[in-house]
Amino acid sequence: MTDYTPTHVGTVTKYVVVESFEVTPADLAIRGYEISNGAMIKETCFGLVVNGKEEEVDRIVTELRKVDPDHIFVKDRGFPPGDSRRCRANLGGARPGYHGMEYEMTVIPYVSHGLEELKKHDAATVPAPADPLEHPALDVVTLKKLIDAQES
Amino acid sequence: MAKIFIYPATSLILSDLVSRHGHTPLSSAVAIRERIQTAGLESLPLQITPEEPKKGLKWAAVEVPAGVRGRMSLYGPQIEQCEAAIIINDADLAFGCMGCARTNELIKFLLRQKDIPKLDLNYPKNEEEGVQFVAAIKRFLGELKKREDTK
Amino acid sequence: MTPPVRIAQLSCGADYSGVQHEIDTAAHEVNGEIFFPDIALKDIRRDYDAFGLDVKSPDLKLAIARAKALVDGRVEADAVFIATCFRCAEAAIVRNELRRFIHENSKLPVVSYSFTERTTSGTLLTRMEALTTIARRRALLARETQQGITLGLDSGSATTKAIVMKDNKIIGTGWQPTTEVLTSAHGVIETALAEAGMTMKDIQAIGTTGYGRFLVGKDLNANLIQEELTVNSKGAVYLADRQHGPATVIDIGGMDNKAITVMDGIPGVFTMGGICAGASGRFLEMTAKRLGVDITELGPLSMKGFGGHVPMNSYCIVFGTQSLVNALAAGSTREDVAAAACHSVAEQVFEQQLQEVDIKEPVIMVGGTSLIEGLVHAMGELLQTKIVVPHHSQYIGAVGSALLASGFIKDE
Repeated sequence: MTDYTPTHVGTVTKYVVVESFEVTPADLAIRGYEISNGAMIKETCFGLVVNGKEEEVDRIVTELRKVDPDHIFVKDRGFPPGDSRRCRANLGGARPGYHGMEYEMTVIPYVSHGLEELKKHDAATVPAPADPLEHPALDVVTLKKLIDAQES
Repeated sequence: MAKIFIYPATSLILSDLVSRHGHTPLSSAVAIRERIQTAGLESLPLQITPEEPKKGLKWAAVEVPAGVRGRMSLYGPQIEQCEAAIIINDADLAFGCMGCARTNELIKFLLRQKDIPKLDLNYPKNEEEGVQFVAAIKRFLGELKKREDTK
Repeated sequence: MTPPVRIAQLSCGADYSGVQHEIDTAAHEVNGEIFFPDIALKDIRRDYDAFGLDVKSPDLKLAIARAKALVDGRVEADAVFIATCFRCAEAAIVRNELRRFIHENSKLPVVSYSFTERTTSGTLLTRMEALTTIARRRALLARETQQGITLGLDSGSATTKAIVMKDNKIIGTGWQPTTEVLTSAHGVIETALAEAGMTMKDIQAIGTTGYGRFLVGKDLNANLIQEELTVNSKGAVYLADRQHGPATVIDIGGMDNKAITVMDGIPGVFTMGGICAGASGRFLEMTAKRLGVDITELGPLSMKGFGGHVPMNSYCIVFGTQSLVNALAAGSTREDVAAAACHSVAEQVFEQQLQEVDIKEPVIMVGGTSLIEGLVHAMGELLQTKIVVPHHSQYIGAVGSALLASGFIKDE
């Protein structure tokens, strides 16, 4: 067993993902470099990976969000940017988590739409989504209609 | 600012929406970060050593597969810490840290056992559902904020 | 240096059980390289649906899609390692079906394994070595006749065996229990050479196998140091004269058991170890001792008995022995107890290990335990087939080594 000495201790890493017709990852990177102030910024195919002290990363992320608030999404990452343990080139294939993100990218346009719409409407006026835990039984009126349809 | 367990814990969408509304998402990445920033014995790639499945015994018995217990060593403490939870129920394509259905069942069960505010959703399938999805999360997080402010 | 053998990993739970590092280390030690077939989300959805096994765990869906990519040739690999958590039923179904799917639809060698957090690289090493050997040394494994004068040595956990071969014939044998590894090795070599009427100077090439292969191989300056999975497969089909077509090789050893599906003498799917001592040759040795007979007499004794009279089916050698003692105390005959012990070992190997490979006839039993008729009989009954036990079957590793070593004789 080899001893493990961690690097980047006390830092955080965040993905800044852009899914927009107007802003590209390259645009976002340029803005990121302008305000980086020493934090590490790496451009990727879907956006940026930002690493540094938490306050610093939060400040950069807040600024970057302003570029296109409804189309920029942020999440934490466990590993620092370019870490060989998660690198596609080293693993042969994408890390499993990548496919999960690939899936959410197909849903994100609906979320962006939601964010845009809620600037115009009060959230309180929007009906609640269907409760996934509810499995409603057939109500009596519908059942009667079905029976009638069968009999006629 | 409340600590909110997000399910799937790898979700970009939930992580973003929770932090966008000023709360703290508890996610896989945060748990993994803690592992890889802690000195110890080397265990590539996630720095989950054979000790982690043993720590997982707190949440799952020894006859439960090691992979479930190892994952529970990441999520168990977060479930204990969390003050609310948002659960997407049709997250069938969340891999890696959320790649084991048995662990996922246990996580959801432990969250449901806990007396905290919970929001159950499905992924939006169209724009209309997108609006409802974002609005539901906004309302839920707003309520939490109000509750905190009145404390 | 030869490029590493590329081993595609299809797995669920390895990272989270803390054993991924052990898998990587074992592969690295035999110049193998673990990689994860690269596919996209659309491939996962399409291939998982097409495969038709409705599992809930996303990482198992990913494993299924990666297996399809390998079989379709969209991702290239030299070998496949399938690994999932021990005690996960869902994963066990996927593991078995993927192993079968890859074996039937490609030429890739496959090994499957169920791990716990206690799995170490040492446990995985022999399996990885076999995988890389099959991938890298197909030409060597294609050898069908022994040439020149060669020595094969099998340094096993229980016994050490040596064979001297000349022009495709066995001319000297040596056998003794393994005590100090090198002393036992030199002892059996001396016996085998004496029987062959030769000295070490006459030997043109040496091959070693078994647990002590590295130590003995280094000491003898062997031409070939090879794990026992490929060597025993080769030795089995050679001695049984079934070098072409399918076969299944079963070797119930002193410490672990091997079950190997072979095609044209080359292992396709194999499993090794995995059960407790109650399902090993060691248990039969203890049974013989308790019954007051030599191990060589256990077979004939058991053939006179009927195992069905005695309840015995423990994984554990301690509990197994307890059943044995209880049965004798309750008045069971020695013959029945001997038959029950043979049945117990055969049944556990059948239930625990033979499910991990595809049984193809002929089934060839080798190793010292294949000389215990009762065990062979019990296995034949369970598999509903007549089992082939070739001559010199107890020397299988040594014969395989001597055969393969002749590929290293330099032309004079």
